[in-house]
Amino acid sequence: MAAPRPARTQRGPALRTPLQDRLTSPWLTIRAQIVLAGIFIVAGALKIADPPGFAHEIHNYALVPERLVSPMALILPWLEVVAGLALFLGVWRRAAAGIFAVLLVVFIVALSIDLVRGKPVDCGCFGTSSVPKTEAQRLTEMKVAIGRDVLLLLLAGQILWAVPRPSRRLPPR
Amino acid sequence: MRWISQAAALLVLAVFCAAASNAFAGRERRLSWKSAGVAEGGQHAVSKPAAAPASAVSTASSPAAKSTFAPHPDKPYVEIGGEETAQLQGRGDVPVLDARRSSVYREGHVAGARSFSVWESDIDDKIKAFFAEGHDPSGPIVVYCSGGECEDSHTLAQKLYLAGFDAVFVYKDGFPDWQRRGLPVHSGDQP
Repeated sequence: MAAPRPARTQRGPALRTPLQDRLTSPWLTIRAQIVLAGIFIVAGALKIADPPGFAHEIHNYALVPERLVSPMALILPWLEVVAGLALFLGVWRRAAAGIFAVLLVVFIVALSIDLVRGKPVDCGCFGTSSVPKTEAQRLTEMKVAIGRDVLLLLLAGQILWAVPRPSRRLPPR
Repeated sequence: MRWISQAAALLVLAVFCAAASNAFAGRERRLSWKSAGVAEGGQHAVSKPAAAPASAVSTASSPAAKSTFAPHPDKPYVEIGGEETAQLQGRGDVPVLDARRSSVYREGHVAGARSFSVWESDIDDKIKAFFAEGHDPSGPIVVYCSGGECEDSHTLAQKLYLAGFDAVFVYKDGFPDWQRRGLPVHSGDQP
């Protein structure tokens, strides 16, 4: 006869280490929300200010089919702003953090592919840059952008880990 | 998985905001939902062969083009250098088109060049209007952008080729090279 399953609380196993408690504390989560939301709202707003410039940056990555460049350039910045506002206001936090996690993985993969190919591109993360750059400067900036995106991904992961899943309502007895 | 449906709702809201924002944007900020790199056939496109792939396009200055700037109906464009561009621009009857953003064009452009930014929403209308002006389809046209890795001039050349122009020349080193040579430059909205 199979042993009965241990009862689960809403937040997972009953025993939690002090480190887990610290990493999922509301104090840390609220700060992760503010930082992540703030960065994405600013990044999105800068791109919304110049959609043709952002489309050009996406085109330069040479990773996206041409037909998708303009729709991406139009929708992605607004997705950053909308999800950023949701996270900032504490509405649908898991959904917003999930969107950011997916976006950040995509950004990291795109930058890494072009870095491996030795193709220097402007990140385009915070809109277009009019300052002329050398190839070496661009490659360095790409590495910095990957590092920054990894840190932001950790913040998104913290929110996904710490924010409880919505509990299912039990039918009335 | 309620959060997935919430994420989908955020995505739908973002699409709505993007559509509304783009609809009310000014000419320079508006972006066509159809990407600039997707070539649209013009009146003569039906009878044209498909644009040659980038690898098949001459990347060196063609000797024939250097001497006569002859039409090249078998390929969308031929790349030329600063000397040939200056020669064509000096003739006065050769259209010179600037593929960079309008804001950059205003800061400085080749004297006599017209703004044809490939990333702005009115580019196809501009090409149709240019065709309607009655330019000789076999006459040379020079297009340029910022040189280096800039491909906007090549994108514009593809569009012109599909619109029916057979003698498009891409100034491969672009505006920075023009400035280095100390050739005539204008600024502002007018050519």
